[in-house]
Amino acid sequence: MADMQYKSAPREFFENLAEKIKKKWRAFCAMLRHGNVRVACSMLIMGTGQMMYRQWAKGALYLLVQAGFIVYLVLTGARDFFGLFTLGSVEANPWYGIEGDNSVIMLITGILSVIVMVIYVSLYIANVRGIYATQLRVEAGKKPATFRQDVAQMFDRKFYRTVLFLPVIGVCIFNVLPIVFMILIAFTNYGGDIVPPKLVDWVGFENFGKLVAVGEYTTTFFKILGWNILWAVASTAINYFGGLALALLLNKKCVKGKVFWRFFPILAYAIPGFITMLGFKYMFANGGPINYYITQGGGSAIFFLGANSTWPARLIGLMVNAWISIPSSMLLATGILSNANKDQYEAARIDGANAFQQFWYLTLPFVVFATTPVILSQFIGNFNNFGVFYFLRSDVSSSAGYVLANDTDLLINWLYKMSIDNNYYSIGAAISLIIFIITSVISLVVYIFSPSYRQEETYR
Amino acid sequence: MTKTLSLFLAHAFIVIALITTFGVLGLQREEQEAQERFTGVLEENVTLRILDNDTAKETGYLDELLAAFNAEYAQYGITAVDANMGAYTDLEKLGPAGYGPDIVYQANDVLMRYAENRHIQPLPAESMEVYAEIPSEAWDAYQSTMEGTEYTFAVPVNVQEPLLYYRKDLLPENWQETWDDDGNGVPDMVENWADLFAYSAQVKAESNGTRYGYMKSLNDQYFAAGYFLSYGAYIFGQDETGEYDTEDIGFSAGESYKGARIIRQLATVMDNNCADDTITTSAYELLGNGTYFATMTTPDVYESFIDEFASSWSRTHRDWTEEEVDAYVRENLFMTKVPALPVSGDLTDREGETMEMTVMGGIHGYAISSYTKSPNAALAFIEFATSEEWIARRCELLGIVPARTDVMEAEGGVAADVYDDLIADRIYIMPGERAMTQVWASFGSLLRFIAEDGLRGGSTYDTDEKLIAAMEALDAEIYSAIHTLS
Repeated sequence: MADMQYKSAPREFFENLAEKIKKKWRAFCAMLRHGNVRVACSMLIMGTGQMMYRQWAKGALYLLVQAGFIVYLVLTGARDFFGLFTLGSVEANPWYGIEGDNSVIMLITGILSVIVMVIYVSLYIANVRGIYATQLRVEAGKKPATFRQDVAQMFDRKFYRTVLFLPVIGVCIFNVLPIVFMILIAFTNYGGDIVPPKLVDWVGFENFGKLVAVGEYTTTFFKILGWNILWAVASTAINYFGGLALALLLNKKCVKGKVFWRFFPILAYAIPGFITMLGFKYMFANGGPINYYITQGGGSAIFFLGANSTWPARLIGLMVNAWISIPSSMLLATGILSNANKDQYEAARIDGANAFQQFWYLTLPFVVFATTPVILSQFIGNFNNFGVFYFLRSDVSSSAGYVLANDTDLLINWLYKMSIDNNYYSIGAAISLIIFIITSVISLVVYIFSPSYRQEETYR
Repeated sequence: MTKTLSLFLAHAFIVIALITTFGVLGLQREEQEAQERFTGVLEENVTLRILDNDTAKETGYLDELLAAFNAEYAQYGITAVDANMGAYTDLEKLGPAGYGPDIVYQANDVLMRYAENRHIQPLPAESMEVYAEIPSEAWDAYQSTMEGTEYTFAVPVNVQEPLLYYRKDLLPENWQETWDDDGNGVPDMVENWADLFAYSAQVKAESNGTRYGYMKSLNDQYFAAGYFLSYGAYIFGQDETGEYDTEDIGFSAGESYKGARIIRQLATVMDNNCADDTITTSAYELLGNGTYFATMTTPDVYESFIDEFASSWSRTHRDWTEEEVDAYVRENLFMTKVPALPVSGDLTDREGETMEMTVMGGIHGYAISSYTKSPNAALAFIEFATSEEWIARRCELLGIVPARTDVMEAEGGVAADVYDDLIADRIYIMPGERAMTQVWASFGSLLRFIAEDGLRGGSTYDTDEKLIAAMEALDAEIYSAIHTLS
């Protein structure tokens, strides 16, 4: 049954979407068919229909929106919108005071102009739907809503709109704009020698092509991707099960001084991560304390984080990450375990289940059910874990067989090296888009298959 | 239906028409006339923001210079102030936004990268008073041909090249008998790399690894490049106009593998830290307390070594006065040209022929931001700051090697040695190409590989053939990093 629910979910989603679109289209057609002259007026000039219904304030606001939009278009909006396509045509020459186009600024203002247009279209639709609703209301023998009633609604039935208005604007400017900017950069030649005042141009999917079809880069990309997936899976598993094991251990009745023992992982958790990483880097450095004792004991120094130390460095990375992350998993598991049903364990014991069977059939499903979203967020966090290898192996810029990356770099580190160290902004943006696609697909698939999604009602 | 639909479409048409009309009109630009910026007429009542390095600020040199300039140009209302920005402030990012400095003092590789995208203004160098006082070899670092015209982008102030720092008081007592084969009164270990290598091995062995001879981070590209350049390597080829060709990468050129072999050999007389940055950061303290006998760095940090040496010496000689300590450390900390390399490229070859070492160097200078509103006042500032009086003062306070010949002649000593190296082409001026980022990344990693191989006595780079292959692979890697994505 659960499988059937899972299989029908995407289909249901698309069917609902199609139905909604059809419904909107029918409503729009009805509006066109039955709308009176006031509706028609508001379709041409926003707010005029409202004014004809004596909704002066509302009408004036809509009129103001349209006037403001036209002024914006005339002054800068139209130019910004076109600039999004051209990205400039005149190169600046500051030597002679010749002002030119700044492609990057044009890209940003172009995206902003699209956002403004989307907001305008939304308000236009609200204007038309509002006037048509007023027409229907009047035809039903009621009076048009007054401005006071409209405002009252904004604090009552439509309160969510009032509350969300400013955050949505903020999200558009501070989230949508940079994300769209980054996505679009992936389709330009911005970076390398092409930085303002030179003009940037659209190059389509060329950057993605370079990543997957140009010899050395393809090899580097797939090597890093493979290690990145292994790292994300391994580190998530180690951190999660490490934390769970620690929580179970410290939950045992036989453990004395639980508060004392819990103090140490919490201490590791409380110390800023980068200090821990620098500490580990020092410990495992070529000339660090561990090598000191090895050489004092008559052995040869081991270059744990050296240029040639692929697997030792990777294992140390996993260990450092576990050191930093296990305490938080432990705290999470401790909290969840405190809600476990003791009767089930009692029943299991009576039925003869041993400790492992109790863990496997009772504890694990219960904890995994409650923490699947956390595991996913940890997986995404580990997939994009920039800090560990940035701190541990900052001295090794590149490794044999890799281009502009070393053998412990994750995609996020490669992205950083490409974008920040080497100014290949467009390639960096393409990598970040690929990371986004990979992590979102994996998260979605794992979540859909997880008990949290498929057996939502189990523990309710 | 017709009414509502037609007015809806009319609205859509008006919006589209507005976007199209004003979009097309907005992107059209009037043809702008090129304006000559250096008219010779000083802009009056303006403020110039000067970006100088941290040492100039710490020693009080910048304050002195600004005060003197402001007094001289008070009649025009021109005021120069500290830009109050980090020494490595990126004009490329700040300039176009309008809040960068008017004048920047930086190394030639940084300034020439700015020049590439016109962020600094070409200067009328030949008409400046300082022009004749600076050798053409120094001007070359700031000249570039763009679209058929040769421009000069900055005025050279300071020549940088690696020098050997060593502690005279750590020399063996009988060095004149045992370490002065040519009897010239100069210890062999500061004259020849082969002798320095032998001496380093001896110090390390005798102290059981608690003291060292020569120590320097071997992964430091700037200082390590010299070993390769000396045996025929180059970074980028140059065309007949002197412009760099980033497609021609020459780390494997000539007998550069000998330089790689030297890196590997040097690692054996150092400690496990030689393949990372540890030695560079601790060299001041460890040369000061006598753990290291010698290191290599640039002349502008001489005072930092003196401070650490004095501090360390004071701790162990509490009965000495400050003046006595200062006199002692200045008498015993020596800064000299880097030693000569064996022609064979083998540091165990103490009897063979030697040759002068070519080193990676740079030239710091003043440039004018293209975004300054006061180019003529800025030019006046540069004329003032590069005058004989102020360059001499800079030498005095900062210990730099001046690019001005007259000041260099007055200074003598190490300054003259550096100047000789510049004239004799033994300083390879760091290219100002943007692609240097990719060069340093790959080169630095290879240096670390080789040094670690030397340390562990590995077999990855133990033959000339393997080193040659590594150098060729390095060229290919750099080429790929620069050109595949461009």
